[in-house]
Amino acid sequence: MTKTVLVTGAGGVGKTTFSAALAVTAARRGVRTLVVTVDPARRLASALGIEHLGDEPQPHGDEPNLWAAMLDSMASWRAVAMRHADPTVATRLADNEFFQAASEHFPASQAYAAADQAATFVQARAWDLVVIDTPPSGGGIDFFTAPAQMADLVGGRLLRWITGGPLPGRRFFYDRAARPVLRMADTILGSGLLERVSEFLIDLRTTYDGVARRGREIERVLRDASILVLTTADPAPVSEAVRFYRQLPDIASVPAAVVFNRSLPPAWSSTVPDPGLPAAASHVVAQWSAETLRQADARGEFSTRYGARVATVPWQPDAPTDLAGLETLLREAEGIPWSELLPDV
Amino acid sequence: MLDERLVIVSGKGGVGKSAVTAALALGAQRHGLRILAVEMETGGGLSAHFGTGPLGFAPREVRPGMHAMHMVRSEALLEYLSLQLRLPGLGRFGAIARAFDALATAAPAVREIVTIGKILWEVREDRWDMVLVDAPPTGQIASYLRAPTSITELVATGRISHQAEWMAATLADPALTRMIVVTLAEELPTTETEDTLAWIDASGVVTTPTVITNRVLDPIRVKTPAGVAGEMVTLHKALVAEQGEWLKRLPPDVTLPYMFGLFTPTEVAAHLSDRLEGLE
Repeated sequence: MTKTVLVTGAGGVGKTTFSAALAVTAARRGVRTLVVTVDPARRLASALGIEHLGDEPQPHGDEPNLWAAMLDSMASWRAVAMRHADPTVATRLADNEFFQAASEHFPASQAYAAADQAATFVQARAWDLVVIDTPPSGGGIDFFTAPAQMADLVGGRLLRWITGGPLPGRRFFYDRAARPVLRMADTILGSGLLERVSEFLIDLRTTYDGVARRGREIERVLRDASILVLTTADPAPVSEAVRFYRQLPDIASVPAAVVFNRSLPPAWSSTVPDPGLPAAASHVVAQWSAETLRQADARGEFSTRYGARVATVPWQPDAPTDLAGLETLLREAEGIPWSELLPDV
Repeated sequence: MLDERLVIVSGKGGVGKSAVTAALALGAQRHGLRILAVEMETGGGLSAHFGTGPLGFAPREVRPGMHAMHMVRSEALLEYLSLQLRLPGLGRFGAIARAFDALATAAPAVREIVTIGKILWEVREDRWDMVLVDAPPTGQIASYLRAPTSITELVATGRISHQAEWMAATLADPALTRMIVVTLAEELPTTETEDTLAWIDASGVVTTPTVITNRVLDPIRVKTPAGVAGEMVTLHKALVAEQGEWLKRLPPDVTLPYMFGLFTPTEVAAHLSDRLEGLE
């Protein structure tokens, strides 16, 4: 049985580095681990040994239990089409001038493709643990809602209404529904632009059965995953984390823990500057103890108001550049529910 | 920076662009300007920084003289269609508008022109002295800024192509539009800022942006003391050194300090607004 850990959280809180550190720690404990990451910084990618690699899991040269894969955040609709449309339609879709634009601008399609690919790795049963770093859009929440959204988009009432009936009959479409819309569009856009777009949507519609079926499978995989919500104590990420923590039980499961990255030692909050210190040093002491107090406050909000399990990862100034650095990151972490996250090996 | 009519604030996710947008709006409001602040992203942070609760499509007065709205593409589209087709009751043709929306979603530039177009119409209005936009992140901003130009390339005739011309001209005019890129002195925000600046420079859709580097720590020159104070000074110095590496690569336009120990987004916006006073 493959265990899955999903790392969610607002942009900029360190999700990718944390996911990598979690995977390295597990691998060094003898767990065959795959980390699936999105857009890592160059130094982190090189630490994971995935500088030039694509979305196929690659074994790490120095750590026999560690594999890494990088999701292509641009793959999206192309991947959906190739998987679920018949070859002629898939080619036409991929060649469509709106295809690239559509996949760039419909975030759910990117999240769907990423979730689909991640679920494939989990279902392969080749690893004991799959750690998934969720894509930046929507802080990872998209990841859970994308399968349903995608099925809704390609099979939704709206598109069915435009494309007409269960079969994509073009004549039906132009005659019954689209013509008034297109005539209106022509007044404003002045060309057959939207007509070309609608052809694209009709092709997309044929992928519905495949997308809907696969979507349900992906949702099952995601429901069985352990979820971590990563945040810092800054007000903006904290309010995002609160939102995730409250929404996730409805769309997936209760998060296993809220992890505060860049945590300071709790004792710092009560540090009074020694009267003999130079002014500049006293100022720094006052700043960092205020910061520690804020962190305690943010943690308290989660543990007391929401009954969440709270974990901390110490603030380390240097970004890890190798496996040892990544492992060090979590060595002094507190409260991470390891027994829940890691399979018995 | 009180002369421009339109201020577009972008940046990588998590760098604090909503906080900076809110701070700029508060500053301009203090100078008596009539402001419209626009939140573009769903679940966007602008409302949190004003402490107002969720914003709607209709502008709402959140401070004396300052209005704020949340951009909803379908509503912007409906408004546009009713104005263009002179059909005030287009709401009754909701199904047609929704179908149009579904088509527009898939068309490049059309979906962006609807929202950036709504903003540019507001800029034209005499109702506001300044429109401030908490824009989509730098990863997506190009498609918005390019939308008016793309539309004129895609469609040669029709109402939109004429409107797109003045829209593109407004964006490119340094007297009317100011672009701001918020960043951090960290690896990914720095590289993304470099990419954005290079793209803007090459495309010319807006004038060279002002770069605001957020959460910059003050360097300290002090001997590391003993005990806990020493641990704090050591961490501070290490973070300053790390930030210094990335600051070398960022334009030295504006820096904002790290906000130690603030508890709410409204506090953050108020403090940043003080720091931005007098921004050129």
